[in-house]
Amino acid sequence: MAKVSPLAKYKLVFLGDQSVGKTSIITRFMYDKFDTTYQATIGIDFLSKTMYLEDRTVRLQLWDTAGQERFRSLIPSYIRDSSVAVIAYDVANRQSFLNTSKWVEEVRTERGSDVIIVLVGNKTDLVDKRQVSIEEGDNKAREFGIMFIETSAKAGFNIKPLFRKIAAALPGMETLSSTKQEDMVDVNLKSGGNSSQNTEQQGGGCAC
Amino acid sequence: MQEAELHDLSDDADYAASQQQGSSSMMRCDSGKRSSSSEPEGAQIVYLKDNVTIHPTQFASERISGRLKLIKQGSSLFMTWIPHKGQSTNARLSEKDRNLYTIRSVPFADVKSIRRHTPAFGWQYIIVLLSFGLAFPPLYFYNGGVREFLATVKQHVLLVRSAEDSNVFLVNDFQNPLQRTLSSLEIPRAVSAVSVPSTPVSVGESTSQQNEERIDVSASVPQYNGRHRQKGHDPARDISIQVLEKFSLVTKFARETTSQLFRETHNNGFGPLERRNSNQSTLDYSHKPSDYDEDVPIRHPVEPDPLEKVPHRILKHVDKVAINVGTFEPNQFKDFDKLSLVWGKPRQPPMGLEEWTSFLDSEGRVVDPKALRKRIFYGGVEHKFRKEVWALLLGYHAYESTYAEREYQKSIKKTEYETIKNQWQSISHEQAKRFTKFRERKGLIEKDVVRTDRSISFYDGDDNPNVNLLHDILLTYSFYNFDLGYCQGMSDLLSPILFVMEDESESFWCFVALMERLGPNFNRDQNGMHSQLFALSKLVELLDIPLHNYFKQNDCLNYFFCFRWILIQFKRELEYEKTMRMWEVLWTHHLSEHLHLYVCVAILKRYRSKIIGEQMDFDTLLKFINELSGQIDLDATLRDAEALCICAGENGAACIPPGTPPSLPVEDGSFYNQQDDDAL
Repeated sequence: MAKVSPLAKYKLVFLGDQSVGKTSIITRFMYDKFDTTYQATIGIDFLSKTMYLEDRTVRLQLWDTAGQERFRSLIPSYIRDSSVAVIAYDVANRQSFLNTSKWVEEVRTERGSDVIIVLVGNKTDLVDKRQVSIEEGDNKAREFGIMFIETSAKAGFNIKPLFRKIAAALPGMETLSSTKQEDMVDVNLKSGGNSSQNTEQQGGGCAC
Repeated sequence: MQEAELHDLSDDADYAASQQQGSSSMMRCDSGKRSSSSEPEGAQIVYLKDNVTIHPTQFASERISGRLKLIKQGSSLFMTWIPHKGQSTNARLSEKDRNLYTIRSVPFADVKSIRRHTPAFGWQYIIVLLSFGLAFPPLYFYNGGVREFLATVKQHVLLVRSAEDSNVFLVNDFQNPLQRTLSSLEIPRAVSAVSVPSTPVSVGESTSQQNEERIDVSASVPQYNGRHRQKGHDPARDISIQVLEKFSLVTKFARETTSQLFRETHNNGFGPLERRNSNQSTLDYSHKPSDYDEDVPIRHPVEPDPLEKVPHRILKHVDKVAINVGTFEPNQFKDFDKLSLVWGKPRQPPMGLEEWTSFLDSEGRVVDPKALRKRIFYGGVEHKFRKEVWALLLGYHAYESTYAEREYQKSIKKTEYETIKNQWQSISHEQAKRFTKFRERKGLIEKDVVRTDRSISFYDGDDNPNVNLLHDILLTYSFYNFDLGYCQGMSDLLSPILFVMEDESESFWCFVALMERLGPNFNRDQNGMHSQLFALSKLVELLDIPLHNYFKQNDCLNYFFCFRWILIQFKRELEYEKTMRMWEVLWTHHLSEHLHLYVCVAILKRYRSKIIGEQMDFDTLLKFINELSGQIDLDATLRDAEALCICAGENGAACIPPGTPPSLPVEDGSFYNQQDDDAL
């Protein structure tokens, strides 16, 4: 075990429109549960979780934000020193997908290229209501040069891979192979491999 | 201006004395070579800004708003500041006061520098320093405009940003008076040069050091007690400091007073709230002992006794559990040596039928609204009467209305509601396609109502009609108040109202009434939230300096960790029933319209030793505060808040900028005329 820095802390900020599932993704990751009676996030919420990777341990600090535009004035100070921005949309809501461009630009404005950005298409369980294809999400991510993955917090799909992917891309992780094979199998089976392949390229840290 | 006039400007002796000190230099610019007319002849106004305000005292009611102008005449630039006419709402603010502060045609040739201050919250202000050492009082730009002001000055005179301090702008800096300028401007540095920790002087000194980044009103008046002793032997103290002091006798005094109240009998450095809790287990506090860890080393020197300065003494015998604040008389306790914080009165059971009817005359009028509000303040209302009481507290019905009038209004308002509701109901599918804003709003509301209090039986299950009502009311409101629209958090505020009113139209109008006060919380510019968070920071500074200093050291002064508390009035922090209790108590506006801010302080104080002891940084603090949800002891917190509110008194009120929610905007009384008589 090559623990470079056992208590390395990384700040992740979750952005995206109202009700795309930011809190649900976090809750699934933190507690492996999904609750349909969530309340809208008011202000900012903060959770942290330690991830034990093969070769080191990282502490992820998750900042959950309110989605509505008028609360955005609060957000920049939190973006300022975060390592990762997770920008989520609802695959069943085209507008939330279109708005991710604004979020990406905002993060870029605030942080330049010194930040890992992950585009996350959530709610893949809403198969019949899908308005945004995986290719569109993938293309947008390529366009911006950011990582991409589709998830379903409700079904528990691709949530761990999302965070492993993030962990693998964190500064100081480039040379380390930190993603377990079995996690990524899930990705390949359910998403047809497209998203995961793409993010492997973008993230630069995946081993599968 | 006559010298004699300066002596009786105010009934505050200290204030008058400080006036006297600065009067000679004031005279020079007032009655000197310049014409006393407000504008030179043939002048061109190049900058004009209204609502530029000075704060002569700590009392919000005594602030003086005026018009700041830059006037160009020939090659010279002049500055004037004239108080607005007829704005005085205060008898103490005489014409003489206004004349004193009036700035008449000061040429920029006489200006040495302008210092700009940008507090994290609150108004930007500038301090103009003249070349002979006089500084004008801080000019607060209520409507913004500092940047334009400086830009305009720059167009007409040589203005150079100081290399040492980017907020200092040197005027006509042809030589190099930099050192001199800085030494006269950098008050904290100058003042901290004389720091002897155990003398009375040092009390103020340490305070000003702690405030060094923003030389705000509180930091610039460090010498209220020690000034006379000090000024003779302190070369570092420029005359400008004395002038600043004179104009800025704001919170220092109040702060010392209250902190003294909190510390006097508790030399271990803990506030009495914690202290009392750890000492007296019989009280209804239900927190773990670890919350009050006495080992936490947060000691600070005990300050000298400023008892003679205590304006409102809130005293009690140490062995008494509580005194009846309802009959509290500030002066009657004058001679006690031992101070302790008054405790909030124990809560009463919720008001029941018999009591409620006793407040009504035979036709249903509330005979004594003030007494009713006070009763509700101390215990709330039984649920079955909330429907009637909330409509009154919120101002939807007038206290003096009869049963019949209320029934009549109900039917009128129902029609009115239906009319507004019909505005969006009549939007066809085809029309909606071309109405993005409508679709967006509807979408936002739909997304939020299905996740609002669904664990409460009133809203649970599929196809719950009450969820649809939430939707319809919120969408109707977004048409009633199209400018504000819908914002997250509104569904939280509406949910208990609908639960209580059980009627669509009645809920709507009560919600409208609530939003008249809380609407600014949801403004796009977040102004209402900013002013409340600002006021909260000032209140903590007033009521708990160590905690304030801790927050300051840890970059927590933005108080964003209290954002949710304030935005939706503790809705997410308390169980549903307790939220309703909290709200009806807050809505009484008994003691203060801003009791909710004292509630914030009370909760923070309750956990202060944990916060400080565990050295929480901003992240940890936010997490900690969010996780307090469901763990707040409502009654104990309300009692603490009441005590803090009484303790802070007028000094507390002065921490809260005018118009801070839930205060009604001053100019807009249309919907609330019926409440005027009952305003506290």
